[in-house]
Amino acid sequence: MIPYEYYIALSGLLMVLGLIGIIIRRNIIAMLISTELMLNAVNIAFVAFDMKLHDVAGQVFVFFILTIAAAEAAVGLGLIMAIYRLRKDVSVDTLTELKL
Amino acid sequence: MSIIEQLVSAVGVPNFGVLIPEIIVLITAFIVFFEELFSKNRILISATTVIGLLLSLLSIFTIKQGDLTLYGLYVVDGFSLLFKLFLLISTIIIVATYRRYFESKDIYFGEFYYLTLFALLGMMIMVSSPNLFTFYVGLELSSITTYILVGMFKTKNKKLKDFDYKSKEGAFKYLIIGGAGTAVISYAIALLYGASGTFDFMEISRAALNDANIGLIAGMVLLVLGLALKAAAVPFHHWAPDAYEGAPTPITTFMAVAVKIATFALILRVMVEAFPFISKDWALVWSILAALSMTVGNFIALRQKSIKRMLAYSSIAHTGYITAALAAPTGMGFAAFIFYTLVYIFMSIGAFAVLTFLEKTEGWNNTFDDFKGLAKRSPLIAIVMLVFMFSLLGIPPTVGFFGKLGVFLALIGSDIWWLAVVLVVMSIISAGYYLRVVSVMYMYEPVKNISFNINGVEKSILILMAVIVLILGIYPTVFWGISTQMSSLLIAGIGR
Repeated sequence: MIPYEYYIALSGLLMVLGLIGIIIRRNIIAMLISTELMLNAVNIAFVAFDMKLHDVAGQVFVFFILTIAAAEAAVGLGLIMAIYRLRKDVSVDTLTELKL
Repeated sequence: MSIIEQLVSAVGVPNFGVLIPEIIVLITAFIVFFEELFSKNRILISATTVIGLLLSLLSIFTIKQGDLTLYGLYVVDGFSLLFKLFLLISTIIIVATYRRYFESKDIYFGEFYYLTLFALLGMMIMVSSPNLFTFYVGLELSSITTYILVGMFKTKNKKLKDFDYKSKEGAFKYLIIGGAGTAVISYAIALLYGASGTFDFMEISRAALNDANIGLIAGMVLLVLGLALKAAAVPFHHWAPDAYEGAPTPITTFMAVAVKIATFALILRVMVEAFPFISKDWALVWSILAALSMTVGNFIALRQKSIKRMLAYSSIAHTGYITAALAAPTGMGFAAFIFYTLVYIFMSIGAFAVLTFLEKTEGWNNTFDDFKGLAKRSPLIAIVMLVFMFSLLGIPPTVGFFGKLGVFLALIGSDIWWLAVVLVVMSIISAGYYLRVVSVMYMYEPVKNISFNINGVEKSILILMAVIVLILGIYPTVFWGISTQMSSLLIAGIGR
Protein backbone atom coordinates (compact mmCIF):
# COMPACT_ATOMS: atom_id res chain seq x y z
CA MET A 1 0.00 0.00 0.00
CA ILE A 2 1.19 3.49 -0.80
CA PRO A 3 1.91 5.51 2.38
CA TYR A 4 -0.30 8.56 2.92
CA GLU A 5 2.61 11.02 2.82
CA TYR A 6 2.79 10.55 -0.95
CA TYR A 7 -0.78 11.77 -1.34
CA ILE A 8 -0.07 14.79 0.86
CA ALA A 9 2.95 15.62 -1.29
CA LEU A 10 0.77 15.32 -4.42
CA SER A 11 -1.85 17.63 -2.95
CA GLY A 12 0.80 20.17 -1.95
CA LEU A 13 2.18 20.05 -5.48
CA LEU A 14 -1.26 20.63 -7.02
CA MET A 15 -1.88 23.48 -4.59
CA VAL A 16 1.34 25.22 -5.63
CA LEU A 17 0.54 24.59 -9.30
CA GLY A 18 -2.84 26.24 -8.81
CA LEU A 19 -1.26 29.27 -7.16
CA ILE A 20 1.30 29.59 -9.95
CA GLY A 21 -1.54 29.25 -12.48
CA ILE A 22 -3.41 32.17 -10.92
CA ILE A 23 -0.29 34.29 -11.04
CA ILE A 24 1.00 33.59 -14.55
CA ARG A 25 -2.00 32.70 -16.73
CA ARG A 26 -3.26 35.52 -18.96
CA ASN A 27 -6.68 34.03 -19.67
CA ILE A 28 -9.34 34.62 -17.03
CA ILE A 29 -10.99 31.23 -17.64
CA ALA A 30 -7.67 29.54 -16.94
CA MET A 31 -7.39 31.57 -13.73
CA LEU A 32 -10.78 30.31 -12.63
CA ILE A 33 -9.75 26.72 -13.41
CA SER A 34 -6.62 27.25 -11.31
CA THR A 35 -8.69 28.09 -8.22
CA GLU A 36 -10.70 24.92 -8.83
CA LEU A 37 -7.44 22.98 -9.05
CA MET A 38 -6.44 24.31 -5.64
CA LEU A 39 -9.73 23.21 -4.11
CA ASN A 40 -9.31 19.73 -5.63
CA ALA A 41 -5.82 19.55 -4.14
CA VAL A 42 -7.45 20.09 -0.75
CA ASN A 43 -9.83 17.19 -1.43
CA ILE A 44 -6.89 14.86 -2.00
CA ALA A 45 -5.32 16.05 1.25
CA PHE A 46 -8.52 15.35 3.17
CA VAL A 47 -8.87 11.83 1.82
CA ALA A 48 -5.20 11.13 2.54
CA PHE A 49 -5.54 12.32 6.14
CA ASP A 50 -8.61 10.11 6.52
CA MET A 51 -6.47 7.18 5.43
CA LYS A 52 -3.96 8.06 8.13
CA LEU A 53 -6.52 8.65 10.91
CA HIS A 54 -8.95 5.82 9.94
CA ASP A 55 -11.81 8.33 10.17
CA VAL A 56 -14.61 9.56 7.85
CA ALA A 57 -15.06 13.19 8.99
CA GLY A 58 -12.57 14.42 6.40
CA GLN A 59 -14.46 12.67 3.61
CA VAL A 60 -17.60 14.48 4.73
CA PHE A 61 -15.71 17.75 4.49
CA VAL A 62 -14.84 16.89 0.88
CA PHE A 63 -18.54 17.10 0.01
CA PHE A 64 -18.71 20.60 1.45
CA ILE A 65 -15.70 21.65 -0.60
CA LEU A 66 -17.17 20.12 -3.78
CA THR A 67 -20.41 22.07 -3.29
CA ILE A 68 -18.63 25.34 -2.61
CA ALA A 69 -16.29 24.85 -5.58
CA ALA A 70 -19.32 24.32 -7.82
CA ALA A 71 -21.01 27.48 -6.51
CA GLU A 72 -17.86 29.48 -7.02
CA ALA A 73 -17.38 28.17 -10.55
CA ALA A 74 -20.98 29.08 -11.40
CA VAL A 75 -20.54 32.65 -10.17
CA GLY A 76 -17.16 32.94 -11.86
CA LEU A 77 -18.40 31.70 -15.23
CA GLY A 78 -21.36 34.07 -15.01
CA LEU A 79 -18.99 36.97 -14.45
CA ILE A 80 -16.78 35.84 -17.34
CA MET A 81 -19.85 35.79 -19.60
CA ALA A 82 -20.75 39.34 -18.51
CA ILE A 83 -17.19 40.55 -19.08
CA TYR A 84 -17.09 38.89 -22.51
CA ARG A 85 -20.36 40.55 -23.53
CA LEU A 86 -19.03 43.97 -22.61
CA ARG A 87 -15.48 43.70 -24.01
CA LYS A 88 -15.46 40.68 -26.42
CA ASP A 89 -12.27 39.47 -24.76
CA VAL A 90 -11.28 37.14 -21.91
CA SER A 91 -7.68 38.21 -21.42
CA VAL A 92 -6.35 39.65 -18.17
CA ASP A 93 -5.33 42.77 -20.06
CA THR A 94 -9.00 43.80 -20.32
CA LEU A 95 -9.24 43.94 -16.52
CA THR A 96 -7.41 47.22 -16.20
CA GLU A 97 -10.12 49.84 -15.77
CA LEU A 98 -9.58 50.00 -12.01
CA LYS A 99 -6.09 50.90 -10.92
CA LEU A 100 -4.16 52.89 -8.35
CA MET B 1 -43.38 29.23 15.80
CA SER B 2 -44.70 26.15 17.53
CA ILE B 3 -45.11 24.46 14.14
CA ILE B 4 -41.42 24.94 13.45
CA GLU B 5 -40.58 23.53 16.86
CA GLN B 6 -42.78 20.51 16.29
CA LEU B 7 -41.34 19.87 12.86
CA VAL B 8 -37.87 20.09 14.23
CA SER B 9 -38.49 17.99 17.27
CA ALA B 10 -39.63 15.32 14.85
CA VAL B 11 -36.24 15.56 13.18
CA GLY B 12 -34.71 15.45 16.61
CA VAL B 13 -32.27 18.31 16.86
CA PRO B 14 -32.11 19.41 20.49
CA ASN B 15 -32.13 23.10 21.39
CA PHE B 16 -33.22 24.21 17.96
CA GLY B 17 -34.94 27.30 19.38
CA VAL B 18 -31.72 29.26 19.62
CA LEU B 19 -31.59 29.36 15.81
CA ILE B 20 -34.69 31.59 15.56
CA PRO B 21 -32.88 34.75 14.34
CA GLU B 22 -31.20 32.81 11.54
CA ILE B 23 -34.45 31.07 10.60
CA ILE B 24 -36.28 34.39 10.40
CA VAL B 25 -33.57 35.83 8.15
CA LEU B 26 -33.71 32.73 5.92
CA ILE B 27 -37.50 32.77 5.64
CA THR B 28 -37.47 36.51 4.87
CA ALA B 29 -34.94 35.88 2.14
CA PHE B 30 -37.23 33.31 0.51
CA ILE B 31 -40.29 35.53 0.89
CA VAL B 32 -38.42 38.39 -0.82
CA PHE B 33 -37.29 35.96 -3.51
CA PHE B 34 -40.87 35.05 -4.42
CA GLU B 35 -42.15 38.60 -4.03
CA GLU B 36 -39.54 39.68 -6.51
CA LEU B 37 -40.79 37.05 -8.99
CA PHE B 38 -44.43 38.07 -8.84
CA SER B 39 -44.43 41.76 -8.09
CA LYS B 40 -42.09 44.57 -8.94
CA ASN B 41 -43.37 46.79 -6.14
CA ARG B 42 -40.15 48.28 -4.80
CA ILE B 43 -41.49 49.66 -1.55
CA LEU B 44 -43.07 46.28 -0.71
CA ILE B 45 -39.78 44.45 -1.23
CA SER B 46 -37.73 46.85 0.88
CA ALA B 47 -40.39 46.94 3.60
CA THR B 48 -40.49 43.13 3.79
CA THR B 49 -36.74 42.99 4.13
CA VAL B 50 -36.62 45.60 6.88
CA ILE B 51 -39.52 44.02 8.79
CA GLY B 52 -37.89 40.58 8.62
CA LEU B 53 -34.63 42.01 9.89
CA LEU B 54 -36.40 43.86 12.72
CA LEU B 55 -38.21 40.66 13.78
CA SER B 56 -34.91 38.81 13.77
CA LEU B 57 -33.38 41.63 15.83
CA LEU B 58 -36.14 41.42 18.41
CA SER B 59 -35.90 37.64 18.62
CA ILE B 60 -32.25 37.93 19.64
CA PHE B 61 -33.31 39.39 22.98
CA THR B 62 -35.45 36.33 23.75
CA ILE B 63 -32.58 33.87 23.47
CA LYS B 64 -30.84 32.44 26.48
CA GLN B 65 -27.07 32.70 26.27
CA GLY B 66 -24.62 29.86 26.27
CA ASP B 67 -26.45 27.21 24.27
CA LEU B 68 -25.07 24.66 21.86
CA THR B 69 -27.20 23.26 19.09
CA LEU B 70 -26.94 21.10 15.97
CA TYR B 71 -24.99 18.57 18.07
CA GLY B 72 -22.25 20.95 19.10
CA LEU B 73 -21.76 22.46 15.65
CA TYR B 74 -23.35 25.79 16.55
CA VAL B 75 -22.76 27.87 19.65
CA VAL B 76 -24.97 30.74 20.79
CA ASP B 77 -23.05 32.56 23.50
CA GLY B 78 -22.88 36.22 24.49
CA PHE B 79 -20.14 36.90 21.96
CA SER B 80 -22.08 35.59 18.98
CA LEU B 81 -25.32 37.24 20.11
CA LEU B 82 -23.57 40.60 20.46
CA PHE B 83 -22.14 40.40 16.97
CA LYS B 84 -25.44 39.16 15.50
CA LEU B 85 -27.15 42.15 17.08
CA PHE B 86 -24.71 44.60 15.55
CA LEU B 87 -24.73 42.82 12.17
CA LEU B 88 -28.52 43.08 12.07
CA ILE B 89 -28.52 46.74 13.10
CA SER B 90 -25.96 47.69 10.48
CA THR B 91 -27.74 45.65 7.78
CA ILE B 92 -31.05 47.38 8.56
CA ILE B 93 -29.43 50.80 8.20
CA ILE B 94 -27.66 49.81 4.97
CA VAL B 95 -30.79 48.25 3.44
CA ALA B 96 -32.66 51.49 4.20
CA THR B 97 -30.24 53.29 1.86
CA TYR B 98 -30.69 50.80 -1.03
CA ARG B 99 -33.86 51.76 -2.86
CA ARG B 100 -33.32 55.40 -3.75
CA TYR B 101 -29.69 54.83 -4.78
CA PHE B 102 -30.54 51.94 -7.09
CA GLU B 103 -33.47 53.83 -8.62
CA SER B 104 -31.28 56.83 -9.34
CA LYS B 105 -28.73 54.60 -11.08
CA ASP B 106 -31.35 52.59 -12.98
CA ILE B 107 -30.06 49.31 -11.53
CA TYR B 108 -32.96 48.42 -9.28
CA PHE B 109 -33.23 44.64 -8.78
CA GLY B 110 -34.97 42.63 -6.08
CA GLU B 111 -31.90 40.38 -6.09
CA PHE B 112 -29.98 42.91 -4.04
CA TYR B 113 -32.32 42.37 -1.12
CA TYR B 114 -32.36 38.62 -0.86
CA LEU B 115 -28.67 38.25 -1.66
CA THR B 116 -27.96 40.69 1.18
CA LEU B 117 -30.09 38.52 3.45
CA PHE B 118 -28.25 35.35 2.42
CA ALA B 119 -24.91 37.05 3.00
CA LEU B 120 -26.16 38.16 6.40
CA LEU B 121 -27.18 34.58 7.18
CA GLY B 122 -23.68 33.43 6.30
CA MET B 123 -22.20 36.03 8.64
CA MET B 124 -24.52 35.01 11.46
CA ILE B 125 -23.34 31.42 10.99
CA MET B 126 -19.73 32.62 10.95
CA VAL B 127 -19.87 34.43 14.27
CA SER B 128 -21.38 31.47 16.09
CA SER B 129 -19.15 28.68 14.82
CA PRO B 130 -17.35 26.49 17.37
CA ASN B 131 -16.29 24.09 14.66
CA LEU B 132 -14.39 24.29 11.39
CA PHE B 133 -17.38 22.88 9.46
CA THR B 134 -19.70 25.70 10.49
CA PHE B 135 -16.86 28.18 10.10
CA TYR B 136 -16.22 27.13 6.52
CA VAL B 137 -19.85 27.01 5.42
CA GLY B 138 -20.66 30.42 6.93
CA LEU B 139 -17.56 32.05 5.50
CA GLU B 140 -18.28 30.73 2.01
CA LEU B 141 -21.98 31.57 2.10
CA SER B 142 -21.17 35.19 2.86
CA SER B 143 -18.19 35.40 0.45
CA ILE B 144 -19.90 33.91 -2.61
CA THR B 145 -23.02 36.05 -2.17
CA THR B 146 -20.81 39.12 -1.83
CA TYR B 147 -19.06 38.28 -5.13
CA ILE B 148 -22.47 38.37 -6.84
CA LEU B 149 -23.51 41.58 -5.08
CA VAL B 150 -20.35 43.37 -6.23
CA GLY B 151 -20.95 42.45 -9.86
CA MET B 152 -24.61 43.49 -9.93
CA PHE B 153 -24.18 47.00 -11.35
CA LYS B 154 -26.08 46.19 -14.54
CA THR B 155 -27.66 49.24 -16.08
CA LYS B 156 -29.39 50.23 -19.30
CA ASN B 157 -28.41 53.87 -18.80
CA LYS B 158 -25.88 54.65 -21.54
CA LYS B 159 -24.03 57.21 -19.40
CA LEU B 160 -23.26 54.62 -16.74
CA LYS B 161 -21.94 51.86 -19.07
CA ASP B 162 -18.45 52.43 -17.72
CA PHE B 163 -19.55 51.68 -14.15
CA ASP B 164 -21.20 48.50 -15.41
CA TYR B 165 -17.87 47.15 -16.60
CA LYS B 166 -15.96 48.35 -13.54
CA SER B 167 -18.36 46.46 -11.32
CA LYS B 168 -17.79 43.20 -13.25
CA GLU B 169 -14.05 43.72 -13.16
CA GLY B 170 -14.02 44.37 -9.41
CA ALA B 171 -16.21 41.33 -8.81
CA PHE B 172 -13.98 39.08 -10.91
CA LYS B 173 -10.81 40.19 -9.12
CA TYR B 174 -12.56 39.66 -5.80
CA LEU B 175 -13.70 36.20 -6.94
CA ILE B 176 -10.27 35.02 -8.08
CA ILE B 177 -8.36 36.32 -5.06
CA GLY B 178 -11.14 35.36 -2.66
CA GLY B 179 -11.25 31.90 -4.29
CA ALA B 180 -7.53 31.50 -3.71
CA GLY B 181 -8.14 32.55 -0.09
CA THR B 182 -10.85 29.92 0.21
CA ALA B 183 -8.47 27.28 -1.11
CA VAL B 184 -5.78 28.35 1.37
CA ILE B 185 -8.26 28.23 4.25
CA SER B 186 -9.44 24.75 3.14
CA TYR B 187 -5.86 23.54 2.99
CA ALA B 188 -5.29 24.96 6.47
CA ILE B 189 -8.35 23.05 7.69
CA ALA B 190 -7.01 19.87 6.07
CA LEU B 191 -3.66 20.30 7.81
CA LEU B 192 -5.30 21.00 11.18
CA TYR B 193 -7.49 17.95 10.73
CA GLY B 194 -4.52 15.81 9.80
CA ALA B 195 -2.55 17.00 12.81
CA SER B 196 -5.30 16.85 15.43
CA GLY B 197 -7.90 14.45 13.99
CA THR B 198 -10.79 16.79 14.77
CA PHE B 199 -12.62 19.89 13.52
CA ASP B 200 -13.70 21.18 16.91
CA PHE B 201 -11.97 24.33 18.17
CA MET B 202 -11.69 23.06 21.75
CA GLU B 203 -10.22 19.72 20.77
CA ILE B 204 -7.77 21.43 18.43
CA SER B 205 -6.65 23.61 21.34
CA ARG B 206 -6.15 20.48 23.46
CA ALA B 207 -4.15 18.82 20.69
CA ALA B 208 -2.01 21.96 20.42
CA LEU B 209 -1.39 21.87 24.17
CA ASN B 210 -0.28 18.25 24.13
CA ASP B 211 1.78 18.28 20.98
CA ALA B 212 2.19 21.43 18.86
CA ASN B 213 3.73 19.65 15.87
CA ILE B 214 4.72 21.16 12.54
CA GLY B 215 1.43 20.26 10.83
CA LEU B 216 -0.58 22.12 13.43
CA ILE B 217 1.62 25.22 13.30
CA ALA B 218 1.59 25.21 9.48
CA GLY B 219 -2.20 24.85 9.48
CA MET B 220 -2.51 27.72 11.93
CA VAL B 221 -0.28 30.01 9.87
CA LEU B 222 -2.15 29.17 6.64
CA LEU B 223 -5.47 29.82 8.40
CA VAL B 224 -4.19 33.21 9.59
CA LEU B 225 -3.08 34.09 6.06
CA GLY B 226 -6.41 33.01 4.55
CA LEU B 227 -8.39 35.01 7.09
CA ALA B 228 -6.10 38.00 6.58
CA LEU B 229 -6.97 37.77 2.88
CA LYS B 230 -10.69 37.79 3.67
CA ALA B 231 -10.21 40.78 6.00
CA ALA B 232 -8.13 42.62 3.34
CA ALA B 233 -4.87 42.89 5.26
CA VAL B 234 -1.69 43.79 3.36
CA PRO B 235 -0.06 41.95 1.46
CA PHE B 236 -3.35 40.25 0.47
CA HIS B 237 -5.31 43.46 -0.06
CA HIS B 238 -5.24 43.75 -3.85
CA TRP B 239 -8.87 42.80 -4.30
CA ALA B 240 -10.22 45.30 -1.79
CA PRO B 241 -9.82 48.70 -3.47
CA ASP B 242 -11.01 47.37 -6.84
CA ALA B 243 -14.02 45.53 -5.43
CA TYR B 244 -14.92 48.49 -3.20
CA GLU B 245 -14.69 50.94 -6.07
CA GLY B 246 -16.48 48.77 -8.60
CA ALA B 247 -19.41 47.80 -6.37
CA PRO B 248 -22.53 49.96 -6.12
CA THR B 249 -21.91 52.25 -3.12
CA PRO B 250 -24.49 50.72 -0.72
CA ILE B 251 -22.91 47.32 -1.41
CA THR B 252 -19.50 48.86 -0.66
CA THR B 253 -20.94 49.95 2.67
CA PHE B 254 -22.19 46.44 3.29
CA MET B 255 -18.77 44.96 2.50
CA ALA B 256 -16.84 47.53 4.49
CA VAL B 257 -19.07 47.17 7.54
CA ALA B 258 -20.97 43.91 7.86
CA VAL B 259 -18.63 41.51 6.03
CA LYS B 260 -15.64 43.05 7.72
CA ILE B 261 -16.85 42.94 11.31
CA ALA B 262 -18.13 39.38 10.86
CA THR B 263 -14.66 38.40 9.61
CA PHE B 264 -13.08 40.10 12.62
CA ALA B 265 -15.41 38.30 15.03
CA LEU B 266 -14.54 35.02 13.32
CA ILE B 267 -10.81 35.74 13.52
CA LEU B 268 -11.01 36.50 17.23
CA ARG B 269 -13.02 33.39 18.00
CA VAL B 270 -10.78 31.05 16.01
CA MET B 271 -7.61 32.49 17.46
CA VAL B 272 -8.77 32.49 21.08
CA GLU B 273 -10.70 29.23 21.12
CA ALA B 274 -8.67 27.02 18.81
CA PHE B 275 -5.10 28.22 19.39
CA PRO B 276 -4.90 29.73 22.88
CA PHE B 277 -1.77 27.76 23.79
CA ILE B 278 0.26 28.82 20.77
CA SER B 279 -0.75 32.48 21.04
CA LYS B 280 2.87 33.67 20.73
CA ASP B 281 3.06 32.32 17.18
CA TRP B 282 -0.12 33.89 15.84
CA ALA B 283 0.48 37.16 17.70
CA LEU B 284 3.74 37.50 15.79
CA VAL B 285 2.08 36.82 12.42
CA TRP B 286 -0.75 39.26 13.14
CA SER B 287 1.61 41.99 14.32
CA ILE B 288 3.55 41.82 11.04
CA LEU B 289 0.33 41.84 8.98
CA ALA B 290 -1.03 44.75 11.04
CA ALA B 291 2.11 46.85 10.67
CA LEU B 292 2.13 46.24 6.90
CA SER B 293 -1.58 47.06 6.55
CA MET B 294 -1.27 50.30 8.47
CA THR B 295 1.78 51.45 6.50
CA VAL B 296 0.75 50.45 2.98
CA GLY B 297 -2.94 51.33 3.42
CA ASN B 298 -2.24 54.83 4.67
CA PHE B 299 0.49 55.67 2.18
CA ILE B 300 -1.50 54.56 -0.86
CA ALA B 301 -4.62 56.34 0.43
CA LEU B 302 -2.66 59.60 0.37
CA ARG B 303 -2.48 59.67 -3.41
CA GLN B 304 -6.10 58.82 -4.28
CA LYS B 305 -8.29 61.15 -6.32
CA SER B 306 -11.57 59.38 -5.66
CA ILE B 307 -12.93 59.55 -2.11
CA LYS B 308 -14.57 56.13 -2.48
CA ARG B 309 -11.23 54.53 -3.30
CA MET B 310 -9.53 56.52 -0.57
CA LEU B 311 -12.03 55.13 1.94
CA ALA B 312 -11.28 51.64 0.61
CA TYR B 313 -7.59 52.11 1.46
CA SER B 314 -8.59 53.68 4.76
CA SER B 315 -10.56 50.51 5.46
CA ILE B 316 -7.39 48.47 4.78
CA ALA B 317 -5.54 50.72 7.24
CA HIS B 318 -8.29 50.10 9.78
CA THR B 319 -7.86 46.36 9.33
CA GLY B 320 -4.32 47.09 10.44
CA TYR B 321 -5.37 49.10 13.50
CA ILE B 322 -7.87 46.46 14.58
CA THR B 323 -5.68 43.40 14.06
CA ALA B 324 -2.81 45.19 15.82
CA ALA B 325 -4.76 44.42 18.99
CA LEU B 326 -4.18 40.69 18.30
CA ALA B 327 -0.43 41.25 18.63
CA ALA B 328 -1.11 41.50 22.37
CA PRO B 329 -2.91 38.23 23.18
CA THR B 330 -4.25 39.38 26.55
CA GLY B 331 -7.72 40.19 27.89
CA MET B 332 -6.98 43.86 27.32
CA GLY B 333 -5.99 43.20 23.70
CA PHE B 334 -9.17 41.24 22.96
CA ALA B 335 -11.31 43.91 24.63
CA ALA B 336 -9.65 46.61 22.51
CA PHE B 337 -10.21 44.44 19.42
CA ILE B 338 -13.94 44.03 20.12
CA PHE B 339 -14.36 47.69 21.06
CA TYR B 340 -12.71 48.98 17.90
CA THR B 341 -14.67 46.51 15.76
CA LEU B 342 -17.97 47.69 17.25
CA VAL B 343 -17.30 51.42 17.00
CA TYR B 344 -15.88 51.03 13.49
CA ILE B 345 -19.42 50.11 12.37
CA PHE B 346 -20.81 53.55 13.09
CA MET B 347 -18.08 55.69 11.57
CA SER B 348 -17.76 53.50 8.51
CA ILE B 349 -21.50 53.34 7.80
CA GLY B 350 -21.61 57.11 8.20
CA ALA B 351 -18.75 57.89 5.85
CA PHE B 352 -19.93 55.50 3.12
CA ALA B 353 -23.56 56.57 3.52
CA VAL B 354 -22.56 60.17 2.78
CA LEU B 355 -21.03 58.94 -0.49
CA THR B 356 -24.15 56.87 -1.27
CA PHE B 357 -26.47 59.83 -0.80
CA LEU B 358 -24.34 62.32 -2.72
CA GLU B 359 -23.79 59.92 -5.59
CA LYS B 360 -27.48 60.02 -6.49
CA THR B 361 -26.89 63.50 -7.88
CA GLU B 362 -26.23 63.43 -11.60
CA GLY B 363 -22.61 63.97 -12.58
CA TRP B 364 -21.30 63.28 -9.07
CA ASN B 365 -18.36 60.87 -9.02
CA ASN B 366 -17.13 61.20 -5.43
CA THR B 367 -13.82 62.77 -6.40
CA PHE B 368 -12.10 65.40 -4.30
CA ASP B 369 -13.03 67.99 -6.93
CA ASP B 370 -16.72 67.15 -6.51
CA PHE B 371 -16.48 67.78 -2.78
CA LYS B 372 -15.17 71.31 -3.24
CA GLY B 373 -17.26 73.83 -1.36
CA LEU B 374 -19.72 71.24 -0.05
CA ALA B 375 -20.10 73.19 3.20
CA LYS B 376 -21.65 76.13 1.34
CA ARG B 377 -24.08 74.01 -0.60
CA SER B 378 -25.13 71.57 2.11
CA PRO B 379 -23.90 72.48 5.61
CA LEU B 380 -25.51 69.44 7.23
CA ILE B 381 -23.73 66.87 5.07
CA ALA B 382 -20.45 68.71 5.44
CA ILE B 383 -20.64 68.72 9.22
CA VAL B 384 -21.53 65.01 9.54
CA MET B 385 -18.78 64.12 7.05
CA LEU B 386 -16.41 66.15 9.23
CA VAL B 387 -17.44 64.13 12.29
CA PHE B 388 -16.85 60.83 10.46
CA MET B 389 -13.49 61.94 9.10
CA PHE B 390 -12.36 63.07 12.57
CA SER B 391 -13.54 59.77 14.01
CA LEU B 392 -11.73 57.68 11.38
CA LEU B 393 -8.65 59.79 12.05
CA GLY B 394 -9.05 59.44 15.82
CA ILE B 395 -9.46 62.96 17.14
CA PRO B 396 -11.30 63.35 20.46
CA PRO B 397 -14.18 63.79 21.29
CA THR B 398 -15.10 61.24 18.60
CA VAL B 399 -15.08 57.54 19.33
CA GLY B 400 -12.29 56.71 16.91
CA PHE B 401 -9.89 58.18 19.44
CA PHE B 402 -10.90 55.67 22.11
CA GLY B 403 -10.67 52.79 19.65
CA LYS B 404 -7.07 53.65 18.88
CA LEU B 405 -6.31 54.45 22.53
CA GLY B 406 -7.53 50.99 23.57
CA VAL B 407 -5.32 49.24 21.03
CA PHE B 408 -2.38 51.48 22.00
CA LEU B 409 -2.74 50.73 25.71
CA ALA B 410 -3.08 47.00 25.04
CA LEU B 411 0.12 47.04 22.98
CA ILE B 412 2.02 48.99 25.65
CA GLY B 413 0.66 46.68 28.35
CA SER B 414 2.30 43.75 26.55
CA ASP B 415 5.52 45.69 25.86
CA ILE B 416 5.10 45.70 22.08
CA TRP B 417 6.44 49.20 21.68
CA TRP B 418 7.41 49.01 18.03
CA LEU B 419 3.85 48.31 16.91
CA ALA B 420 2.47 51.03 19.19
CA VAL B 421 4.87 53.52 17.60
CA VAL B 422 3.85 52.37 14.10
CA LEU B 423 0.19 52.82 15.07
CA VAL B 424 0.69 56.39 16.28
CA VAL B 425 2.90 57.45 13.36
CA MET B 426 0.49 55.97 10.83
CA SER B 427 -2.48 57.70 12.49
CA ILE B 428 -0.65 61.00 12.07
CA ILE B 429 0.05 60.22 8.40
CA SER B 430 -3.61 59.36 7.85
CA ALA B 431 -4.45 62.96 8.80
CA GLY B 432 -3.06 63.83 5.37
CA TYR B 433 -6.06 62.41 3.55
CA TYR B 434 -8.84 62.66 6.13
CA LEU B 435 -8.19 66.33 6.73
CA ARG B 436 -7.90 66.90 3.00
CA VAL B 437 -11.58 65.95 2.68
CA VAL B 438 -12.42 68.47 5.41
CA SER B 439 -10.32 71.23 3.89
CA VAL B 440 -11.77 70.62 0.43
CA MET B 441 -15.28 70.87 1.86
CA TYR B 442 -14.72 74.02 3.91
CA MET B 443 -11.95 76.02 2.29
CA TYR B 444 -12.98 76.06 -1.36
CA GLU B 445 -15.71 77.81 -3.26
CA PRO B 446 -18.35 75.61 -4.91
CA VAL B 447 -17.46 74.88 -8.54
CA LYS B 448 -20.92 74.19 -9.90
CA ASN B 449 -24.33 74.68 -8.41
CA ILE B 450 -25.97 71.31 -7.82
CA SER B 451 -28.96 70.70 -5.58
CA PHE B 452 -28.86 67.44 -3.66
CA ASN B 453 -31.72 65.00 -3.51
CA ILE B 454 -31.65 63.81 0.10
CA ASN B 455 -34.84 63.01 2.00
CA GLY B 456 -35.68 62.92 5.69
CA VAL B 457 -34.87 59.25 6.28
CA GLU B 458 -31.40 59.66 4.80
CA LYS B 459 -30.73 62.81 6.80
CA SER B 460 -31.82 61.11 9.99
CA ILE B 461 -29.51 58.13 9.27
CA LEU B 462 -26.56 60.50 8.90
CA ILE B 463 -27.45 62.53 12.00
CA LEU B 464 -28.02 59.35 14.04
CA MET B 465 -24.61 57.93 13.09
CA ALA B 466 -22.85 61.25 13.81
CA VAL B 467 -24.59 61.57 17.19
CA ILE B 468 -23.67 57.98 18.12
CA VAL B 469 -20.05 58.63 17.17
CA LEU B 470 -19.99 61.77 19.33
CA ILE B 471 -21.85 60.30 22.31
CA LEU B 472 -19.65 57.21 22.37
CA GLY B 473 -16.64 59.49 22.11
CA ILE B 474 -17.69 61.37 25.23
CA TYR B 475 -19.04 58.38 27.11
CA PRO B 476 -17.42 55.13 25.88
CA THR B 477 -17.94 53.31 29.19
CA VAL B 478 -20.91 51.19 28.12
CA PHE B 479 -19.25 49.81 24.99
CA TRP B 480 -15.95 49.36 26.77
CA GLY B 481 -17.76 47.43 29.53
CA ILE B 482 -19.43 45.15 26.97
CA SER B 483 -16.11 44.54 25.21
CA THR B 484 -14.31 43.69 28.45
CA GLN B 485 -17.12 41.31 29.41
CA MET B 486 -16.97 39.57 26.01
CA SER B 487 -13.21 39.22 26.12
CA SER B 488 -13.34 37.65 29.59
CA LEU B 489 -16.12 35.36 28.35
CA LEU B 490 -13.93 34.20 25.48
CA ILE B 491 -10.97 33.68 27.79
CA ALA B 492 -13.11 31.78 30.30
CA GLY B 493 -14.03 29.40 27.48
CA ILE B 494 -10.42 28.34 26.88
CA GLY B 495 -9.97 24.63 27.44
CA ARG B 496 -13.64 24.25 28.36
